[in-house]
Amino acid sequence: MNPDLLEQWGSLGVNGLPYIIPIHPNLVHLTLGLFIAAIAFDIVGALFPVEKAVFKFLAIPVTRSSLFDVGWYNLVASAIVTFFTVMAGLFEVSLAVPLADVTSAWGLHALQTMILHGVGGVLILTLIVGMTVWRGFQRYQWRKDMARQVQWSYLAAGLFIFALMFVQGTLGAHLGGEFGVHITADQMLHLGENPNQL
Amino acid sequence: MVLFAVFCDITGYFTKNPKLYEVSWWNLTFATVSIFIAIIFGQIEAGLAEPYRASVSTLNVHTVLGWSLSGILALVTGWRYVIRLQERPQLPIPYLAVSVLLVGLVCIQSYLGSLLVWVYGLHTIPVVDAIRGGLS
Repeated sequence: MNPDLLEQWGSLGVNGLPYIIPIHPNLVHLTLGLFIAAIAFDIVGALFPVEKAVFKFLAIPVTRSSLFDVGWYNLVASAIVTFFTVMAGLFEVSLAVPLADVTSAWGLHALQTMILHGVGGVLILTLIVGMTVWRGFQRYQWRKDMARQVQWSYLAAGLFIFALMFVQGTLGAHLGGEFGVHITADQMLHLGENPNQL
Repeated sequence: MVLFAVFCDITGYFTKNPKLYEVSWWNLTFATVSIFIAIIFGQIEAGLAEPYRASVSTLNVHTVLGWSLSGILALVTGWRYVIRLQERPQLPIPYLAVSVLLVGLVCIQSYLGSLLVWVYGLHTIPVVDAIRGGLS
């Protein structure tokens, strides 16, 4: 964002936000944790015949359908939370003042990284919502009476989204860790101040 | 995971949906395994961090609370394991109270971790460069 425009806000902190800790990087942990757990438990559910003996050895009573319940409810929660993750991301990226003279470990400049991370975020939100719809059809229509509630192709798609999330997460980490977006100490150093004044 | 587990417990308590209790238990179990992985990486990265003066006390509290949480979380999950074996229709109120307390601690821990990254900038390139340049 153009620094002159940001001055119109008046009450932004050194980190460029009206509060000390950015919200988006915290919410994204919920998105990731819920989605990863959803796919992981569906995989455990799908491979249940193989693992039966392990659960027995650990003395943990399990029903296969409860593993699929975790897969479903976690995914729904992930889909809901991710709207807020993206919303917070859009708000905070619009206030971002990245360091301009830096190239990231992936050879990108700040603007390219911001655009890729922004487009990637909306793409992943769409995919999560799409996966939730797909999962819902499997749960309540197509595979309602089947022992294995999910298709193998669904699990493969989930793993593919893990990979996208890894790329997206690394881009986001570059924005903070390399371009200093919304990091108080980095912005202070950029202004020539000592972060020990914090 | 802890947050979602407790959310499911409370929703399950009021909607009387036993499925949500199962979802909660599995999320809690997953969290108990994950926290140790988180601590291992936390220790490695904190050990490499060379924190400067202003950030030291936050890092110390984050470390102590992180290890404490691993113990508390394991205890709560163990308690939950026993409750689950008993197949009660409802969760006991003391258990719910403790899990709400656990949510509080998790939020504090995330807040401290956020301070380390987003305020003190530990392991961000400008701060690492400054530390190499003599910031202490």
